[in-house]
Amino acid sequence: MIELIISLISITLQTSAPLLLASIGECIVERGGILNLGIEGAMLIGAFTGFISAYFTKNLLIGILASIIGGIAIVLFFGFLVIEMNLDQVISALAINLLSYGICIYFFRIIFSQGSLPYISELLSPIPIPILSEIPIIGMILFNQTIFVYIALISIPIAYYLIFKTRYGLSLRATGENPSIAYRLGVNVSKVRYIALIIEGIFVGIAGGTFCLSMFNVFDVRITAAKGFMAVSIVILGRWNPIGVFGGALLFGFAEALSLWIGTLIIGPISASISQLLSILPYVVTIIALLIGGRKAKGPASLGAPFSRE
Amino acid sequence: MNSSKLIGLYRALLSIILTFLVTSIFLIINNTNPLLAYYYIFIGAFGNINLIIETLVRATPILIISLGLAISFRCKVWNIGAEGQLYIGAMLGTITAIALGESFFTFPIAFIMSLIGGALWASIPAFMKSKLGINEVITTFLMNFISINFVQWLLSFPLKSPETLFPESERIPNSAILPVLIPYTRMHLGIVIAFFLILPIIHFIMMKTTFGFKLKVVGENPEVARYSGIDVEKILFLALVISGALAGMAGFIEVAGIQFRMRPTISPGYGYTGIVIALLGQNNPIGISLASIFIAAIINGSSTMSRMLNQPQGIVDFIQGLLIMFVLASNYILRYVSKKELIKL
Repeated sequence: MIELIISLISITLQTSAPLLLASIGECIVERGGILNLGIEGAMLIGAFTGFISAYFTKNLLIGILASIIGGIAIVLFFGFLVIEMNLDQVISALAINLLSYGICIYFFRIIFSQGSLPYISELLSPIPIPILSEIPIIGMILFNQTIFVYIALISIPIAYYLIFKTRYGLSLRATGENPSIAYRLGVNVSKVRYIALIIEGIFVGIAGGTFCLSMFNVFDVRITAAKGFMAVSIVILGRWNPIGVFGGALLFGFAEALSLWIGTLIIGPISASISQLLSILPYVVTIIALLIGGRKAKGPASLGAPFSRE
Repeated sequence: MNSSKLIGLYRALLSIILTFLVTSIFLIINNTNPLLAYYYIFIGAFGNINLIIETLVRATPILIISLGLAISFRCKVWNIGAEGQLYIGAMLGTITAIALGESFFTFPIAFIMSLIGGALWASIPAFMKSKLGINEVITTFLMNFISINFVQWLLSFPLKSPETLFPESERIPNSAILPVLIPYTRMHLGIVIAFFLILPIIHFIMMKTTFGFKLKVVGENPEVARYSGIDVEKILFLALVISGALAGMAGFIEVAGIQFRMRPTISPGYGYTGIVIALLGQNNPIGISLASIFIAAIINGSSTMSRMLNQPQGIVDFIQGLLIMFVLASNYILRYVSKKELIKL
């Protein structure tokens, strides 16, 4: 029984990692007043570039790097639309998501011929941390994970420090509350926002990489399965605070892990039926969590509002 | 044609031209003559009477969906859950039709149930938007995953037809099937309903009623709307629910006109295609009807083109992504151009 529970918690950390990475990135960007609903597409591009690079170079670290570059590129493009061209943030994000989807479907089939199913022969394996991984139970859960889980966990204190303890964080928060006043006080609003977007691109790109480099060894356009939108929900539920975001990511990661875990426990003729039904659990949990916890969520005052210097 | 409609037309044409330009570049890179590719797309969509009918068959569900989306987009409610609302509506309509069996009332009751199904499904994010202020983009998209997976489960297990091997429902009774208007084609009554009944009704609602006017005011400035006594929350709620009802209807018309069974593959992303069409058609019902035929032609024609020129299948999704991007960017381009030269714009 204890082993089963350990495996459940361990799977929870793995399923939480992409959610945590994406929502930490989104948290930083939203603190600066930009609502990026396009991270679903950015994650998909990250998964795509990571998969392609890892497939051709047979090197998973290059895969991670490519995921980061893919993530940064698409998030910066979003930034160009909403900062440079001052276009509506919600519609720009819809466009980014649909375009990313189209790019991945089309270019996947240009690179790999119709009907072929390319796969990566080896996925990233867990890296046990010396000594710490020897600790009974906790060592197994916390210190015997893939690099993505470690990056995700480290990102929480980094983001917290960045937002609340640095000069940049102060400019970022000021920009999110009132960009006009921040601008008049000498904050370079566009620069602050672009930096936030680049950080988000890194995190979201890595989040996309987790799917193709550590969870599945194939690429499919359905691989992100609304994780980007879950990440945005997590930011709301976590009240734009990295620590709250951590709690939200664990909750949704747990819902996903639970649906996978119960599926493996049940055997017999009804198991297929139960597993398929359980696949909706993470989405139901997200909607219910938003119903309960989304009520009085007050984000940065200028979140999603257009800003121009004139 | 007044000037705002003219700008809308310019925007749509500009985004189509730019999309074709970019697509051409990638076709050339992929060793394909773009003119030949567009020729095959055209032939595949309009080459003979049967192909023209097939294009209209394809345009029907996406027209109904995007008309609904136009209502919600008009007041800036971004419903991206039409895909899921379609599945719930089609499923509920199918269940009703099978339960009622052969009778005079089977079609009308099943039809109404499909509207109710889509509306109820949309009412959850609508409630969360209007009462709790939760962004509808997030909720409508997440609910797609609940409805599509749930319908897939229903069709794989409890409601699976015992006669077939695939996850699909039983065949709906004959009295629920939309009659074919031209023998030996798939030209069914649903096409006429969509273009000559639903389209004028939505046009009337948007252009001639106070509700349509309120939608516009809420979309342009919710504060002004509130001060002038409009119940903004009610309008947002209704807009989302109506678009859900139309998505549900689109799903059931697809069952009753084409598939005759509910299948998990009933929509290859029509809910998302509807977003592209509503934006390309500038939320104008006439523009939307043209845009839905245009996109339907590209969907059907590009499968012919892929076959003839040995091109990968996914080009339709790429074109749709480019289109929505350029519809958005054309706003900026026209704004920029009008400042420089066309001051009258």
